[in-house]
Amino acid sequence: MKLDQTEKDMLAGRQGPGKQRCMEILVKFGEAMGAEKMAPLFSAHTMPKEPLSLLSELTEGVDEPGVFTTLHPTMSAFCMRNWREMGIPQEFAEKELPLHRQRQEVYERAGFFQTYTCLPMLAGNLARAGDYVSWIGTGLQLLTNSVLGARTNRDGTVVNLAAAIVGRTPYYGLLQDANRKAQVLVQLNNLDVPSLGPADLGAIGYWVGSRAQSFNVAFDNIPDLSFDQLRYLLPPLSVSGSVPLCHVVGLTPEAPSLEAALGGASPELVLSVGPDQLAEARDMYSRQAPEADLAVFGCSHCTISEIKLMAAYLKGRRLAPGKRLWVGTGFQTSELARQMGYAQTIEQAGGVFASACVATIPEAPLPGESRVVSTNSFKAAHYITHLSKGKVKVWVEEMPAVLESVLEPAGRA
Amino acid sequence: MVLSGRIINPGEVTAEAVVLSEPFSFIGDFDPTTGYLNLPGAEQAEVEVAGKVLVIPTGKGGTIAPWIAYEAAQRGKAPAAILCQHPEPITCEAAIAMDIPMLVSFDQEICKVLSSGQVVSIAGGQVTTNGD
Repeated sequence: MKLDQTEKDMLAGRQGPGKQRCMEILVKFGEAMGAEKMAPLFSAHTMPKEPLSLLSELTEGVDEPGVFTTLHPTMSAFCMRNWREMGIPQEFAEKELPLHRQRQEVYERAGFFQTYTCLPMLAGNLARAGDYVSWIGTGLQLLTNSVLGARTNRDGTVVNLAAAIVGRTPYYGLLQDANRKAQVLVQLNNLDVPSLGPADLGAIGYWVGSRAQSFNVAFDNIPDLSFDQLRYLLPPLSVSGSVPLCHVVGLTPEAPSLEAALGGASPELVLSVGPDQLAEARDMYSRQAPEADLAVFGCSHCTISEIKLMAAYLKGRRLAPGKRLWVGTGFQTSELARQMGYAQTIEQAGGVFASACVATIPEAPLPGESRVVSTNSFKAAHYITHLSKGKVKVWVEEMPAVLESVLEPAGRA
Repeated sequence: MVLSGRIINPGEVTAEAVVLSEPFSFIGDFDPTTGYLNLPGAEQAEVEVAGKVLVIPTGKGGTIAPWIAYEAAQRGKAPAAILCQHPEPITCEAAIAMDIPMLVSFDQEICKVLSSGQVVSIAGGQVTTNGD
């Protein structure tokens, strides 16, 4: 690989042993991928659950990451602030907290921003179209490539951490124009997409992902969608499939037209999605009972707009005895929710905020009594079902039904 | 028999081969605490790969796979090397994280010409079967 002077200095160890080890990893990996040079990063977003010895090795002598770096939630529903209120067992917390503290010491020394959110663009890490980034999290990688138009590969956790520390990543794959064209075209028929809620949007994404596999996708003829709608529609494509990039024609930066999204070529596959396909997907996680033990929101993390809607619904209501409501969102957003009074309303109803990954539940064992989980997120439903190996039943509905599944009936609160 | 491949991570080793016919992931298909495969229903359902040469058609997904592999290496439970016909980024990253030899893109279908239990030697970009 062709390296510039700074990269050569890091590789030679002139900026300390941690950066040297990172460059060794990136050069080897870059050569394996056929990259001819490094790309300078705008920012990084890493996973805060590294093996401690790896984190120490790669950050040795590092007092500032090579680039602005934020942190994902840990791969766990364990929220280091609110685990008690979530009902997470004490013995689990006692095992996790000392490890978290040791990692936090490194983050503080090395200058990683402890955002613990899967939407870092809402917490100050706002990459723009064309920027090179290394962001972890398959759903986030898809949102970044598609909605922001910033360019990330589906880096693994070691290359991603090394990239953050030196501010460089091998220039290959999705960083290059030629690899960002859509190969699968999705046409939506007889669906009023802008009126659809998270459960329906997620079902469409889930259906498409399982068929598009690892190809780039383009959605055509969607008139307009908010960020909240896009973050429910798109991430499931990386769950049922491993789609890295999905253009939404007329909405996302690289798809002003269908021709631009396809790069002038014909699609290799055309998928048509209408009410039948939507119903087929919804059936995969359909509601089998009106009640649930635990309602989960925040996959991907709730925005302030979604929290506002939830607070309006919960005014004057209370959870039924023994029921739980988890709201996954970054600390930054729950602070804003508190400033607005929404957090107090949700907490008075019995809900709890978690700056954690509420979809990776087995890592933080569910409160013992929870066997049925309700959510508005297909991504959460998939992960909770698969990671719990079917021990937990999950169903997906829109917000009102999910909230009602854990609330005292109205009028009795 | 001598096979030639492209070097992802260099190194020299001689060890017994474990040959898989399906795509492999360090997440789920492998137990990093024991170094054994975890492939319910497969021929090599619970074969030890620690210290052996893992031979695979290709790797598959999961961004945390390199951590799992790294942790296995820290415990001395990593494979001795990986030979992979069709390379995919995450498995290459895992081999680099473990710092074990990895060769890819062989001139012959490696999973067909090698068989489990055979002793193979890796040096440079070449794999030699024992007795040749």
